[in-house]
Amino acid sequence: MDEYAIGVLTNIGLFSFVALSAWLLLVAGELSFGQQAFFGVGAYAAGICTAMLGWPLPLAALAAMALGAAAAALVGLPTLRLRGLYFAMATLAAAEMLRILFELFHWQIALGDERIGPDGTQGFRGIRWMFERGVEPLDFLAIVWILLIGVMVIFLRIENSRLGATLRALGHDPELARSAGIDVDRLKLGVVAAGGALAALGGALFAHHNTYIEPRNFDIMLGVHSLAYGLIGGLGTVFGPLLGVVLDIGVLEATRSLHGYRMIVFGGLVALLLVFRPRGLLDERAVHWIKSRL
Amino acid sequence: MLRVVDLVTAYGKIEALKGVSLEVREGSITCVLGPNGAGKTTLMLTIAGVLRPRQGAIEFRGEPIAALSPHAIVARGVALVPENRLVFAHMTVLENLHAGAYQRKGPYENDLEKIFARFPRLKERASQDAGTLSGGEQQMLAVARALMSRPKLLLMDEPSLGLAPLVVEEIFRIIAELHRDGTSILLVEQNAHMALRVAQHFYLIEQGRVTFSGDPGSLAEDELIRRAYLGSARA
Amino acid sequence: MIDFLQNTLDGLALGSSYALLALGFTLIFGVLRRANLAYGPAILFGCYCATWAYLETGIGLLFLALIAVAGSALAGIYVERLCFAPHRKGAAAAAMVASFALWMQFEELATLALPRHLYAFPALYEGGPLSLGRLTLRVESLVMLVAAILVCAALWGVLYRSRFGTAVRAVIDSPAAAELSGISVSAVSLRVFALASAIGGLTGFLIVSGDQQLTPMLGMWSTLKGMLAMMLGGLGSLPGAIAGGVALGLLEAHSQWYLGPQLRDFIAYLLLFILLAVRPPWMNTRSAY
Repeated sequence: MDEYAIGVLTNIGLFSFVALSAWLLLVAGELSFGQQAFFGVGAYAAGICTAMLGWPLPLAALAAMALGAAAAALVGLPTLRLRGLYFAMATLAAAEMLRILFELFHWQIALGDERIGPDGTQGFRGIRWMFERGVEPLDFLAIVWILLIGVMVIFLRIENSRLGATLRALGHDPELARSAGIDVDRLKLGVVAAGGALAALGGALFAHHNTYIEPRNFDIMLGVHSLAYGLIGGLGTVFGPLLGVVLDIGVLEATRSLHGYRMIVFGGLVALLLVFRPRGLLDERAVHWIKSRL
Repeated sequence: MLRVVDLVTAYGKIEALKGVSLEVREGSITCVLGPNGAGKTTLMLTIAGVLRPRQGAIEFRGEPIAALSPHAIVARGVALVPENRLVFAHMTVLENLHAGAYQRKGPYENDLEKIFARFPRLKERASQDAGTLSGGEQQMLAVARALMSRPKLLLMDEPSLGLAPLVVEEIFRIIAELHRDGTSILLVEQNAHMALRVAQHFYLIEQGRVTFSGDPGSLAEDELIRRAYLGSARA
Repeated sequence: MIDFLQNTLDGLALGSSYALLALGFTLIFGVLRRANLAYGPAILFGCYCATWAYLETGIGLLFLALIAVAGSALAGIYVERLCFAPHRKGAAAAAMVASFALWMQFEELATLALPRHLYAFPALYEGGPLSLGRLTLRVESLVMLVAAILVCAALWGVLYRSRFGTAVRAVIDSPAAAELSGISVSAVSLRVFALASAIGGLTGFLIVSGDQQLTPMLGMWSTLKGMLAMMLGGLGSLPGAIAGGVALGLLEAHSQWYLGPQLRDFIAYLLLFILLAVRPPWMNTRSAY
C-alpha cells in the first residue's frame, strides 16, 4: 500500500474517534459542539506524557483518556439539566474556553539541546515517540484501526445489551426514561465522560501521528464536522460515524478533479440527504432493514 | 356538510382511529361522546389537519380536505377550538382575536364588535394578556378566536372541560346561539347531559371505532349507554 | 476614568452590531425554535456579492448596501427552504447539520468568486473620528448605533403594528395555535428568515464598510457573536437579544482593555457557560427543541 493511501486511512481512523464521541452523545439525545476540546485534551496530555515525562505511549494514551473523561465530566456536571440548544451552546463555550487555554498554555522543558513542550499559539512540537521507536506508518495505521475496531466491538455489545436500550430510550424521550426509573442524570454524565475519553484517545493518537499539534487543530470546525459525521453516517449503528468520516475524507480525496467545488457539491448533497434521511444514511430503519436481510 | 369515511389515524404503530365514519349535516349540532382515550381528540385533530390520516377520507362541502394543512382548512371554513384552548398567552385578548381573523380579506370591525357583544367578559379584558385569564375566560377566547375566521363548521373539543358549572352553562348557551345563527357544530364532549340538551345527532366512539350513531332519544334509551355515560356518578 | 468611558463608548458601538446580529438570530430562533448555523455565512454571501459588484462596476455605497441586503436575504431563503422547511417536526439535529453543510457551501462559493483572503471595501466614511471632549467616536460606530436603533424601531413597528407582525408573534407564541387560527407557519417562517437575513446583510455591510475590508472570517464570526449575544440575553426574546448584544459589546471592550484579546473571548464564553449552568430567571426557559 502506498504512503498516500496509508495516510488517508490513518486520518479516517483518527477522526472516527471524535466522530464516534459526537455520535454517542447524539444517540443519547444531546447535541455537542465541543467534542474537539477533548480531542485536544487527549492530544496535549499524551504528548506531554511521552515527550516530556518519558512515558510509553500506551500509558500516555490511558492518561489521556482519563483526563479526557475528567474534562468532559467537568463540563457535563454543571450542564446536566440543560437540553437541546442550551446544552449545545454550553459545550461550545466550554470547548472554546479550553482552546483559549491551550493558546495560553506554556510549559517547556529542556531536553538535550532543545526546548520541548506546549508553547501557546506556537503549538507543541517534538512529539516523536513513534519516530524514535521506528514505528512505520503502516504499523501505526494498524494500531489506530485495531483500537478503533476494539472500541466499535465494545459499542456493538453495548448496543445489544440493556445499557444500549436504555441509552436509546434516553435519547428518544428523557422524561419518559426518567419516569421509567432510569437515573437520567447519572447516565448522561456517564455518556459525556465516555465521549470525552473516546475523543481523547483519538487525540492522543493524532498527536503522535502528526508529531506537532497547535490549538488551531481543535477549533469549532472540527467540532461541527464531528457532529456532522455522526449524524450523516447514521444514528442507527456504530458504523454510522465511520461512514460519515469515510464519505467526507474519502470524497475529499476521490474528487480531486472537483477541487475548489468539493464543499459546494458535498454540502448540497448533505443537506439534500438530510431532507430524506434526517437521522442519517444508516438510520434505525435502514439498520433494521439490513438486519432483516442478513 | 362534513363527511368522514373510514378514517384511520395512527401514532407510530398505535392506531388511535381504526376506521371512523361520521357525518355532520349542515346547520346541525353533532356530538361525539366517548371515554378518555377513545380517539375523540385524535378525530378532531385529524379533521382540522393537525394530524394526517393513514387511511380514509374527509370531505367538507364535497371537497377532500384530509391532505390539507390546518391553515388551509381554516380558509375553507372549518375552525377548531382545541381541547387545551391554545390561546396566545403572551398576546392580548384583542391581539388573539386579530390573529384569529388573519385570513379575513376585508375589514372586520363589525365582527369584533359582535364578538365583544357576545362575550362581554372578553371586552372587559381586551388589553390583558391572554395568559392571565381564568380557565373559563380562556375558553371563551378560544371560541371567539375561532369565530373570527367566520367558520361554516365549528369544531369544539371538550369545551366544558375543567370549568365551573355556571361557566359550562354559559358555554352551552353560546353553542345554542351559534347554532341558531347558522353555524354547524361538531362537538366532542364527556359531559353527556349538557350535550343532550343541544345536539341533534350523537356518535359514540370507543377504542377508535364508532359504536353508536343516533338521535338524542335513541341515545337516552340505550341501556348500556345510559349506564355508562348518563347514569349516576361513575367510579 | 477616561479609559473606562472610552471603552464603554467603544463597547456600545460594538454592542450595537452584536445586538443587530443577535436580533436576526433570535427572530429565526423565536419562530422556528432552531439555531441557524448558516446565518453568518448568508451574511458573508451578501457582502461578497456587494464586493464583487464593487470590483466589477465601482457603484456607490447605497447600491452596495442594497446588494448586501438582497444577497443575504436570498441566501437566507435558500437556507430556509433546504434546511429548515423539510424538518419542521422534530429532526432538530438534521436541520442544524444541514445548515452547517450550507455554511460550507457559502464559504467555498465566496472563496471561489473572490479568492484573496482580504479585500478592500469602500469606506463608509472618509473622514476622521469625532471628538466628544476627551473621548473619540468613530463615525462608523455612530452609524452602527443609529442603524441599530432604527432597525429596532422598525422591527417593533412591524411586529406590533402590522398584520404580518401579529402573525409572527402568534407563531412565536404557539405554532400550533397559529396554524389553527389560519396562519401558515411555513409562510411566516420563510418571510421571517428573509427578514432576519436582510437585517444581517445590513449589519454585515456596516461592519465591512466600517472596517473597510472583507475577509471570509466574517461568516463564522457573525454566527458566533450572534449566537453568543442571543444566549446571553436570554434565548428567544427580542429585547433580550438587544440587551445581550450590548452587554457582550461592553464586556468585550472592557476585558480587552484590561486583559487582552484572548482573555476577552474567554470571559465572554465563561459568562455564557456560567449563565447556562445557573439559568437565572430572566434567561428564557422556553424549550429549545
